Amino acid sequence: MRKLMFFIPFVLFIALSAFLFSGLFSDPRQHGSALLSKPLPAFSLPDLMEPQRMLSADHLKGKVYLLNVWGLWCPTCNAELGFLTELRQQGIEIVGLYYVQPQDSAFGETFDLAALQQDVAKKLAEQGNPYQLNILDEKRSLIFDLGVTGAPETFLIDAQGQIRAHHVGDINPQNWPALAAQYQAVVQEAQATGAGGQQSEGATNAP
Amino acid sequence: MRLKMQLLLGAFSPLLFALFLCSAFAATAAEELLPFQDARQEALYRELTAELRCPKCQNQNIADSNAVVAVDMREKTYQLVQQGQNKEQVIDYMKQRYGDFVHYQPPVQWSTIWLWLAPLLLLAALFWVMLQKQQKAQQLQQTDAVDPELEQKLQAMIKQAMAEKSSKEPN
Repeated sequence: MRKLMFFIPFVLFIALSAFLFSGLFSDPRQHGSALLSKPLPAFSLPDLMEPQRMLSADHLKGKVYLLNVWGLWCPTCNAELGFLTELRQQGIEIVGLYYVQPQDSAFGETFDLAALQQDVAKKLAEQGNPYQLNILDEKRSLIFDLGVTGAPETFLIDAQGQIRAHHVGDINPQNWPALAAQYQAVVQEAQATGAGGQQSEGATNAP
Repeated sequence: MRLKMQLLLGAFSPLLFALFLCSAFAATAAEELLPFQDARQEALYRELTAELRCPKCQNQNIADSNAVVAVDMREKTYQLVQQGQNKEQVIDYMKQRYGDFVHYQPPVQWSTIWLWLAPLLLLAALFWVMLQKQQKAQQLQQTDAVDPELEQKLQAMIKQAMAEKSSKEPN
């Protein structure tokens, strides 16, 4: 008994060390998403390139895709464009959700859609265009409903319009395989439930 | 000495005045110019922005942060409070989007129950150890106390031994 008591501080020390050691490798930005396996929130937002065309969650239903939150102001998003374009060439569907930063009217900043369209077109021509289309979220309403904390963030949406994964940070060749496995699983699931026909239909409908 | 003090004060008084002005400005800057219907709603807004956690930052509430997401959350909190929603409704609204992480008060769940149980268990363990120690001490005291029966036996043995000794020794 006395010997056992002697080991208690030692055991406590080992447990504390293990706890703190595991903390060294945890990412403080990843704290789970509240929206997993919930439907994409309802929205009605314009297409960035054709603002007269309003997009809604129903427009995107029926196909599996990645919803990528990005903005020209965000260097990591720009760095990610090249790899995302490669993914599009491999047949991954990617929809952009354009994150407009708040404008400070005190400094005379106003939202200029024409200038933004020009800058985006130029950037995508230079770096490659991974997007089937871009949703323009000027007031960050859908971005807020999705629980986005910054850019880039990427959601995996299944054929039923449900959110299946929420990735914070950029997608790169190192972390893509894990997300790719989830993407393939969701695509197979969609084909198994007979939504496969809709999948290709959705792809051809998208500009 | 007094002259020195006066000189020092003289030199520092503009600085002190400037500092005072600074703090006054800081106070007005912190109070955002938001019109509220009544003091109760304003108090609720202040309480909520102090309790809701900025999901982008490392340990800052949304009142304290200027991250875009914190600014948006403050604005949404203001709108919801204006609509007459109560504290739980606003917190639920945020939790539906940003998860339990967003509130500084974690919910009681199987994964978080240890936050409440661990201190209780530690207290119980401490209490148990103290009780054991006390019992041991009491036992020791009891064994130290002289048992009258044993004492009698001992006295009898001593007497016997003495008697034996005196009978053996030649006079």
